[in-house]
Amino acid sequence: MDTIRRTTMLIDSTPQALLRLLQLVSPALPVGAYSYSEGLETVVQTGTVGDASTLERWLIQELRWGAIRLEAAVVTRVYDCVDSGDVEALTRWNQWLSAMRETEEMRSQSWQMGRSLTRLLQSLEPELRPAIAACGEPCNFAIAFSLAAAHWQINREVTVLAYLHSWVSNLVNAGVRLIPLGQTQGQQVLLNVYPQTIETVQAVLVIPDDELYCCSWGVAIASMNHETLYSRLFRS
Amino acid sequence: MTLSPDISNIATSRWHGTLQLEFAHSQDKTQLSRSYAQAPLKVQRPFYPEGEGVCHTVMLHTAGGIVGGDRLSVDIQLHPQAQALITTAAAAKVYRSNGAEATQSTAIHVASGACLEWLPQEAIVFDGARYRQELRVDLAADALWLGWDVARLGRSARGEQFLTGEWRSRIEVWQHNAPLWIDAQWLQGGSEMLTSPHGLAGYPVIGSFAIVGRSPSQDMVEKARQLWTDGNYHGEAGVTRLMAGLLCRYRGSSTAEVRRWFTQVWNLARLDLLQRPACSPRVWQR
Repeated sequence: MDTIRRTTMLIDSTPQALLRLLQLVSPALPVGAYSYSEGLETVVQTGTVGDASTLERWLIQELRWGAIRLEAAVVTRVYDCVDSGDVEALTRWNQWLSAMRETEEMRSQSWQMGRSLTRLLQSLEPELRPAIAACGEPCNFAIAFSLAAAHWQINREVTVLAYLHSWVSNLVNAGVRLIPLGQTQGQQVLLNVYPQTIETVQAVLVIPDDELYCCSWGVAIASMNHETLYSRLFRS
Repeated sequence: MTLSPDISNIATSRWHGTLQLEFAHSQDKTQLSRSYAQAPLKVQRPFYPEGEGVCHTVMLHTAGGIVGGDRLSVDIQLHPQAQALITTAAAAKVYRSNGAEATQSTAIHVASGACLEWLPQEAIVFDGARYRQELRVDLAADALWLGWDVARLGRSARGEQFLTGEWRSRIEVWQHNAPLWIDAQWLQGGSEMLTSPHGLAGYPVIGSFAIVGRSPSQDMVEKARQLWTDGNYHGEAGVTRLMAGLLCRYRGSSTAEVRRWFTQVWNLARLDLLQRPACSPRVWQR
């Protein structure tokens, strides 16, 4: 498969790019991804998601049709903007992503994580400052992630794949804590979601801008109601 | 050039309807200052059930419903300070398509100090329909847009499900060359989108109600949620804040239920943002 071949090339040719990628997707990256459940906490409380297989279906459907697919599509576009130096498009995609957030909670999450990452990048990679400024405030996490990956010359497809993987593993961890699931079950869910993760990457690499639609009514309603839950482990 | 008989038949059986409306405000009255309609779209004479300040206007689709290949375009312009409410005479029907997609595109411009309430009745999307609606709103400074969209997927009252076909809806609200809200929704007939809890959870009715252009007061979100809770409704719903506004979402089984809740929230929004209570157009009473 194309993606796998290029990944192999990446590992062969630039170990430095691979290390930077691992740094970017590491749970140790100080952006606070672990504090959000993106509606999962609500659907676990209502009983809609209650075991490994319902969690797996939830994640697969979000990857196939949900807002995360649109985020992935924006990651590829922002990567191209950095390559071509199209700073106006950076502003445009960042505004687009803010406007298409279905809930305030998900918008705040993306802005908070984006702010943490852009602050970090401004210190680590001062060269990125003009690009970060071009994105405008507040900067969405997917945009900041893509800026970093393009700057660090991580392969474009691998960037999207890694972005989605880091999203999936964060929500699997949330599921393990909330449902709760055993650690092994959690790792199994992760493995089972890989085929859809790869499929989504391939889909967003070719999707035209005017076909960027999504369907995630369940996630939107769950996220809207999250802040009304009586007790919460995750941030709203 | 001579068209073969069946091609010319197809060409004439498709509607390319147009409706253009302009509203102007002067001396405390909003008037429909310009209107142009091309079949099957029409507009009724405006009426003023709550005084001259707000112009109520009813749009009509005179052909009974939308079929594959139809292209409808609607253009609405509100001049400064104009206050207009636009609804439709009946539920829209989108029939099963023979393959071609039907589209409705609506462009709305709301000038400074003006407010458009865009409250069409629901669309009934038949099994096999292929429909794409696009709505773009451009707001000037201090302009307001309130709008809802309710769709029933399949004639579920007769047990029909949305097994084939496609429904797409894109709503974009812009101000000062930046998008405030982009909502791009897609449903593929017969897919898990309709049945899974992540999508519609088997519910045939969806609804969205948005208010964009002004941030609602702090407690409005809580009040809108409370109206849902107090209504003992059967579907599922949520309320959230937009960048400059509010959004309500519904999935359930009843268009009557979602209309009732949206109307309550509309009343709340009117009192909060426009200092007037809701005034339901007579065409809604069935």
